[in-house]
Amino acid sequence: MEFKDYYQVLGLDKNASEAEIKKSYRKLARKYHPDVSKEADAELRMKEVNEAYAVLGDLEKRAAYDQLGGRYRDGQEFQPPPNWDAGFEFSGAGFSAADMGDFSEFFANLFGQAAAGQAGRGGRAGPRPRRGEDHHAKIVIDLRDAYQGAPRTVTLRAARTDAEGRVSMQEYSLSVQIPKGIKEGQHIRLAGQGGPGSGGSAAGDLFLEVHFKQDPHYRVDGRDVYLSLPVTPWEAALGASVEAPTPSGKVQVKIPANSQSGRKLRLKGRGIPGEPAGDLYLLLEIALPPADTDKARQLYEMMAREMAFNPRLAMGV
Amino acid sequence: MPQIEIVTGVVLDEVALDLDELARACSVDALWVVERVEAGLLCEAAPQQRFSSAELLRARRLLAIERDFDANPELAALVVDLIEEVGRLKGRLRAAGIDEK
Repeated sequence: MEFKDYYQVLGLDKNASEAEIKKSYRKLARKYHPDVSKEADAELRMKEVNEAYAVLGDLEKRAAYDQLGGRYRDGQEFQPPPNWDAGFEFSGAGFSAADMGDFSEFFANLFGQAAAGQAGRGGRAGPRPRRGEDHHAKIVIDLRDAYQGAPRTVTLRAARTDAEGRVSMQEYSLSVQIPKGIKEGQHIRLAGQGGPGSGGSAAGDLFLEVHFKQDPHYRVDGRDVYLSLPVTPWEAALGASVEAPTPSGKVQVKIPANSQSGRKLRLKGRGIPGEPAGDLYLLLEIALPPADTDKARQLYEMMAREMAFNPRLAMGV
Repeated sequence: MPQIEIVTGVVLDEVALDLDELARACSVDALWVVERVEAGLLCEAAPQQRFSSAELLRARRLLAIERDFDANPELAALVVDLIEEVGRLKGRLRAAGIDEK
């Protein structure tokens, strides 16, 4: 287990005041807020910042941490000395057992018992009948999974308490059936897969927030799906029947004559399944063959000679 | 080798949450939810109050903004309104094939 320098995470020195800690936390919470941040690792950094603040923003935990902190550097191998926290009372305030899945092994080891006790998991507070906490996680799926439904594996972390009350972070996998017709942002509720209950009470639920993997071809808006479909100039001009891919398989599509780039063709009900199903929109993109052979150049020259076409006419030139 | 379980869940919008379930999912008291519903910050109040995926996400965002910035509920709701609007606009950009970055 590596030591975590929480002061370094918040960009502070060890003498920082409460006000400075709060100010720095808010600044970083804004910088790494997952809904607005453009930083590549925003979600990970936000978790680190939250963890650091859960300790430094709490007087008791900070005092106990400071007692250790002077002897270790960030990343240094670390095992908590016996009774390192003697004389300190942790309430578990400022974070819940549900947050623990986002925190490090280091945090779970030092402060996990407070959260476990708070959740009534048999920690220092003793077993007390209490339903387990609901947990939240994100799952990233392929668009095709939403069309067909599919089992997908999600890896999660959770704080677990052993018989002696020691807390550690454990990774586990769940194979989850993705329901057909699921949309981006919807939640799948898995009953009893959250935090364990105590004293005979039920476990909490796990809420999986669904996100789609970015697809090189398809774009999604609600249940509607969009695809840019390249067509040749003669298919667009003369009309044609062409093959187009869809997430549920190939279809034959009729391109109307005199189509222009950007024309939108709607395939009703071929979006994400549901009541009602979404639509699939094909946006036509006219792809020009390159003039890279004598024959191709001759054809373009013939068109230039024979066709009176000025695409800039509406601009007055 | 991690142990693998196969589990099947329900889509939240097919079976909506009641008040207590939403409160539990957000680790807050039911009163926290009631106050925000009555103030129109979470959703419109309805006689048989049920909550969808969108409302669960909104409640968790409200809570995070209030907690992280000591924001009052109205200010947090304004921030979340803007986050949701940006999300909608980004969705439209993506659908139009425009990369928002």
